[in-house]
Amino acid sequence: MNKCLKIVVALMAVIFASIGLRWLVAPEGIAAEFGMTLMEGLGLSSQIGDLGAFFLSLAVFVLLALATGRRTWYYPPIILLALTAIMRTMAWMFHGASLAVDMIAVEVITCVILYVGSIRLAEED
Amino acid sequence: MRRLKTLLTLCLAPLILGHSCLLIAQNSPNVVLILADDLGFSDLASYGSEIHTPSITALAEQGVSFTNYHTGANCAPSRAMLLTGVDSHRAGVPNIPEMIPPAQATYSHYAGTLSHNVVTVATLLQDAGYHTYLAGKWHLGQTADKLPSRRGFERTLALADSGADNWEQKPYIPIYKNANWYADGEEYQLPDNFYSSRFLVDKTIEFIDSNKDDGQPFFAYVPFQAVHIPVQAPQKFIDRYMGVYDQGWNALRQQRLVRAIALGVVPADTMIVQMASTADWEALSPKRQAYEAKRMAVYGAMVEAMDHHIGRLVEYLKAIGEYDNTVFIFTSDNGAEAMGLPRQNSWRNTLILAAQDYNADYETLGLKGSFNTINPGFASAAASPLAYYKFYVGEGGLRVPMIIAGGPVAIKNQFSNASAYVTDITPTILSLAEVEHPHGLKRGRFGGRKVEPMIGRSLAPLIEGRVESVHGTDNAVGFELAGHGALFMGDFKIVFNRGTQGDSQWHLFNIQVDPGETRDLSAENPAQLQLMLNRYQQYIDDNNILPVPAGYRHETQVIFNALQHTYRDNILIIILLFLLMLPFAIVYKSKHHKGP
Repeated sequence: MNKCLKIVVALMAVIFASIGLRWLVAPEGIAAEFGMTLMEGLGLSSQIGDLGAFFLSLAVFVLLALATGRRTWYYPPIILLALTAIMRTMAWMFHGASLAVDMIAVEVITCVILYVGSIRLAEED
Repeated sequence: MRRLKTLLTLCLAPLILGHSCLLIAQNSPNVVLILADDLGFSDLASYGSEIHTPSITALAEQGVSFTNYHTGANCAPSRAMLLTGVDSHRAGVPNIPEMIPPAQATYSHYAGTLSHNVVTVATLLQDAGYHTYLAGKWHLGQTADKLPSRRGFERTLALADSGADNWEQKPYIPIYKNANWYADGEEYQLPDNFYSSRFLVDKTIEFIDSNKDDGQPFFAYVPFQAVHIPVQAPQKFIDRYMGVYDQGWNALRQQRLVRAIALGVVPADTMIVQMASTADWEALSPKRQAYEAKRMAVYGAMVEAMDHHIGRLVEYLKAIGEYDNTVFIFTSDNGAEAMGLPRQNSWRNTLILAAQDYNADYETLGLKGSFNTINPGFASAAASPLAYYKFYVGEGGLRVPMIIAGGPVAIKNQFSNASAYVTDITPTILSLAEVEHPHGLKRGRFGGRKVEPMIGRSLAPLIEGRVESVHGTDNAVGFELAGHGALFMGDFKIVFNRGTQGDSQWHLFNIQVDPGETRDLSAENPAQLQLMLNRYQQYIDDNNILPVPAGYRHETQVIFNALQHTYRDNILIIILLFLLMLPFAIVYKSKHHKGP
């Protein structure tokens, strides 16, 4: 059971890392998948810098959690993803954004998996 | 007082000069340059074809049809030479970018896009007061500074790619993510009722119509998509050719030879060779024969559809009173295309086409959603009576129809077997428009930079009936494409074809008496061969032509470049991903490593 969970968590790290690297290597395609057009100038800098860093950070935290087995490393990605889901909901409520149900669902499920991972896979710090 | 005079002269000079420029332009003829894509030597009725091309025949009756005109062996190099009069290697387009091997691509003159060291005929005509229009395939660069709107064309509707679907905005090969159309330099969405030949003529008419009353002449460049892959045509045209090709490609090649001889297009004793890529028609099953015949029927239909729309353009010019003052030049960028698969509807190709949302079903062949080509056997027939086809420098790849016609052309309804080359077209247009090329005008500088001199010669003296030929017997004209080489000198040609169809040997032919390249004269005239080989080497040196890498094949290079273009990002991501994961994997391993 724990082995399966470990594979799922590792797979999530690979997905986060590949999304982050796509922002770096081929931003046009990934921007479209996030419902964005690729900006120019400062906007492009923010798009690639912020979003690339976000996903690569998620990947690094999850990999650190798996590699070291320390529970503390699970908390940053859980917080980041939970806040993303909350911010998306608030964007819909207050700023007229689309309610991205699919993406929110993915973020919540990922949070839950990571939380379970922190309980079952990690040691107490 | 003297100072005041000087001041007045300086102030009025631009106005006076501008006005004189306008006067030159107002007395000059309009020019319509029509370029078919991949049209074979005998694909026009006036050159021996069974395909109905009445509009082009009517044009041919109003001018000179050249039977010994040579272009490049593929698309972009020919277009670069056509629009500049400069050798393709000096214009930055020695090959299409899709075929350039990585070893050559690092050199700036092998970029595959039109360099800024050449000036287009459109720029020169525009400067002389012409309106300049383009509607059709460009394929000489897609960046903002290389689109036709920045290369002398006032109004443009341009396809930047090597080809595209004829019925909708859709790429025809996976190397392109989109079909990249541009209107006046901006990305453009095609209308829903698009069919390429009709639409391009509609746009040309729209452009001409927008300025028709201002008294200025125009230069309209109409590079059709017809008959490039995918071969597609409206059903009503396809219906006219059902059953026409049931006798197969060998019969068609022979029929066209007979008609070309009867018309005087080629000498009476012209012989033909059989290409190795031509399969045995009789060995095909009746079902296969019917399928192959329909592939060719769509091709015939596509040629006729193009002719029909050229006819609409001619009628429009007559209606607005501009026909009599218009010179028409009709030609093709290279010979017939033989890259179509012998088994177009095999299960493997059907799967590949399905991935691109295409099919090759018999019932809908040539219609929207259908991907069609012609069999190499029929490509050989389209080039009849010549050997080889597109991408090769045999006559079938280089020799294409070329017609210069219209009110201002003195000679009517004649064939000319004088040597003529694609680099002659720009000098001819400039000569007819009485516009001087900057190399003569400004010591080879244009727009503050040095520009390449034209190598072509104006055909104007020939179409005015003053001379029989503009190229002397000692004038050597070389062509090179991806390691294939050819050199023309007087009646002779040396040719070197490599690749799957070539033998990588030099051959010498007298193409005036033997256009089919059937009798190699190398052994009986070694002095002529050596002389021409020396001139070819000089051509290579003068134009800094690079050798192709060992084992280079243009067919496989296209696939390699397409794969690299398509998957390069993914491969890079996988490598980076691996590098990112590696340290964590090492830490994980060391932590969970159980010691002895």
